Amino acid sequence: MEEFLEIGHKAVNHAQKLGADEADIFLYRENHVSVKFVGGIFASRGGAVKGMKGTLARVGEFWLKKKGLPITSSGVKAGIGIRAVINKATGFSSVSSVEEKNVLEAVEEAVKIAKIRPPDPNWVSLPEAKKPFGKSGIYDKKVSDLDAGKMLDQCVDCCVTASDFDKRITQAMAMIVSTSYSFAVVNTNGVEVSDKGTTFEADIGTKAKSGSEEVASGDFLISRTFTEDLQSIATNAAMKTLECFGKKTLPEKYSGQVLFENTGWYQLFSVILTYGISALNLQENRSVYKGKLGNQVASDNVSIMDDGTLSDGYGTSKADDEGVPRQKTPVIEKGVLSNVLYDNYTAKRERKDSTGNASRQWYAVARYAVQPLIRPSNLIMSPDKGNLEDLKGILKEGVLVKGQLIGALHSNTITGDFSVTADNAFKIEKGEVAFPLKACTLAGNFYETLNHVIAIGNDSRNFGNFVCPSLIVDKIVVAT
Amino acid sequence: MSLQIEDLMSKAIEHSSKIGARFTEVKGEDTITRNIEAINNEIRTVSQIRNVGIGVRVFCGKGQGFCFSNVLDEANTFRTVETAAKIAKASAKKTLINLKLAEVTSIREKKTTKVDKHPRDVSLDDKKDLCMRMCKTAMESSKRITSVTSRFGEYFGTIYYSNTEGTQVSYEPLLVGTGASCVAKKGKTMVDARDYHGASDGLTTFEEEHSPEKMAENAAKWAIEKLSAKLAPAGKFDALVDPELAGTLAHESFGHLSEGDFVMIGGSPLTGKIGQKLGTELATIIDEGLPEKGGYKIYFDDEGVPCEKVEILKKGTLNHYLHSRVTAKAAKMAVTGNARSQDYSYEPIVRMRNTYFDVGDYKPEEALSGLKQGIYAIDSSGGQVQDTGTFLFKAVRGYWVENGELKYPLRDVALTGNILELLKNIDAVGNDLKISTTPFGGCGKMDQRAFVGTGGPHVRIKGVLFGGAA
Repeated sequence: MEEFLEIGHKAVNHAQKLGADEADIFLYRENHVSVKFVGGIFASRGGAVKGMKGTLARVGEFWLKKKGLPITSSGVKAGIGIRAVINKATGFSSVSSVEEKNVLEAVEEAVKIAKIRPPDPNWVSLPEAKKPFGKSGIYDKKVSDLDAGKMLDQCVDCCVTASDFDKRITQAMAMIVSTSYSFAVVNTNGVEVSDKGTTFEADIGTKAKSGSEEVASGDFLISRTFTEDLQSIATNAAMKTLECFGKKTLPEKYSGQVLFENTGWYQLFSVILTYGISALNLQENRSVYKGKLGNQVASDNVSIMDDGTLSDGYGTSKADDEGVPRQKTPVIEKGVLSNVLYDNYTAKRERKDSTGNASRQWYAVARYAVQPLIRPSNLIMSPDKGNLEDLKGILKEGVLVKGQLIGALHSNTITGDFSVTADNAFKIEKGEVAFPLKACTLAGNFYETLNHVIAIGNDSRNFGNFVCPSLIVDKIVVAT
Repeated sequence: MSLQIEDLMSKAIEHSSKIGARFTEVKGEDTITRNIEAINNEIRTVSQIRNVGIGVRVFCGKGQGFCFSNVLDEANTFRTVETAAKIAKASAKKTLINLKLAEVTSIREKKTTKVDKHPRDVSLDDKKDLCMRMCKTAMESSKRITSVTSRFGEYFGTIYYSNTEGTQVSYEPLLVGTGASCVAKKGKTMVDARDYHGASDGLTTFEEEHSPEKMAENAAKWAIEKLSAKLAPAGKFDALVDPELAGTLAHESFGHLSEGDFVMIGGSPLTGKIGQKLGTELATIIDEGLPEKGGYKIYFDDEGVPCEKVEILKKGTLNHYLHSRVTAKAAKMAVTGNARSQDYSYEPIVRMRNTYFDVGDYKPEEALSGLKQGIYAIDSSGGQVQDTGTFLFKAVRGYWVENGELKYPLRDVALTGNILELLKNIDAVGNDLKISTTPFGGCGKMDQRAFVGTGGPHVRIKGVLFGGAA
């Protein structure tokens, strides 16, 4: 860490020497291990073992049970992203290295880039040093000490547990990813902060076959600490798969209330609401919440808060990715829109304070190579009461959607329109599951459904930067 | 820096022999990616990413392990090799498949890329101007154009590869691209259209037909035209697809099915079908690293194998799969040089390079004039493909055709079907090959992105299912 801060100061000083009015640097280092295991036993039931004599087949099955196709990768990624500001124009450059020579070269590039850009009239300044900082993120030494061999054993155990659960299970896949990271932010306005953390994620998928019907589902865990026992997730994955047998189509298009298990709701919640509550999207007229602050935008029972200080939160850290302390920001209180999320740029544009929501996470790109974007830290939908069973009783008649949705990412984030496919959905009659549904499409408008929240459960789960319960919403069209 | 990477790679190879590795390979990389984006005459984004690091794959016994690092000193390099070996040994105990590598002749070669106006030698200002010129031209072309986004992207540097069999190669990848997209508005109708161009070439490629002005004019013209376009009818029609859409069909719906890893686990409907007739005589689909004209040029794959030209489908008959050394060995076929990784931090998997329909004898206008009634579908904005070969693509624009004449423009149209059916219905292939590529995006597979080329000539297909408004 000391080393990070030292090189950080050298970098921003270098930028100023080259003519930058301001500069900030994000330094990042990550140890990443990812292990995936595709169980091999199941092919062997019908394939490799077939034709062997009785005893041999049993021995063969036992032996093969613990074999499959492991795909494992591990490594260290370190790098920096630098912003240099000259005459209200920002230049960004990044390099996958924390060596002084490379860092200083990147600084020179950032300055060059700033010089060719026109001034941004909305630019005010980089963040000032602000204290106190939020809570440090959780750093579990058990995660940082994990080796791939141990994780591979866990994957194999999961596959064996899932496949032993029922003869109809034909394939199991387990994936575990562990990450330990540290980062620092230094800028020319006196910001200097560093933090570290760990994350541990497991994902188990199973397929099952009965007659000609094939079904698939799974379960997962996202945590900041090491979890030794993944058996319950493996068992859950198998159960969630098996309950899908006997799929039928809906006699006719259904329109009305749908009970979303938290796993499905979170996908719409994360994709669409992240967009809608970003101050930048309000400022650029791309959010339906433009001009709606203080207005009723959801049912009375809906409260949503961004909390960067949540004790076991995925997005919890002392400061955000441009060095602003993490904080609590109520977004929707009893249905009323109270705040949206800001980074430094959008906040100063409105003469406000940043809510500490600058983030550099982006798909398939290292964090140091991404410029700050507005994202929730831990966006929490307040739970109410009851588990999934209780909610079924409240729904009485309708559709229950479990598992993951396909196509949530293609939702229209501007309007809130979505059209997704659910593979693990069920028809509910008299408060009980009547039958599972063949792959069905669910269409609706996210912002409209927020205004028609019938009931909210207390079974909140952690989905990375999002925490939400299962719930019943109205105004959804379901077709098989 | 480059000398340092090659030194560290040799040290990694040397070190691996001391710790019981059966085979070790190292990929080294030092590349730069730059992107400039302008919206409505304003430069919005300029960013630069330099990517430097090494990735090591080690085979021990039956297992393999992969580890990467971008902390480039001797201690970390050794640790990277040791971790990869440790993973390989742990995996060996669990693996069902004995991962063997197809034999190849080891080679030592350095390929350099020399072009006029290499992006390395052109100032950032000139590149910025490319974006501004596109915005300006499109904004000024019509009052109906309400928003213009223009982009410039470049990727270049050096990729190194060496292994314990003595192969040691390097090449200098190069990709530049521009794109203009326009939004046009009339009343409540809002439509968009785009034009783009990419090449493994210097900035001279953005002259004449691909000049910023020409691209912006096209994007604006097509957007305006779409304002009065009708919704495409739904149903089965004969279709003429342009080279861009033909490329998407070749890559997305057929190419992926021919990938050796997919075939090896029996996941592809092409498994076990070598030698079978799948399409008409006119259907030839090729994948190669160095197309004569256009596309993204790759000399070696990330197992150090030269990128061979593969005729996947030859005159309608399935001829070859795309392979890494592992899948080639399992399938007992020749290596093709299709093992690629996004960057040093990913292990190589089977990927396409430049995938396209080969040319036929028809002039494009002949292919059109033979279309009695149907749809001329142009360009693709993506879609979905299932393991079975069933696809849904969205064409960006199109025309309704009657008696070989373009009658009126159509809005975004969706095409659905199964590629194995579609190949049997190809009845004319043009002689106008075009292979496109772009530094924006690329192909995604198993969380890895890769730059690819896709293309073909105009291809005429009977009885394609159109889904109406997309």
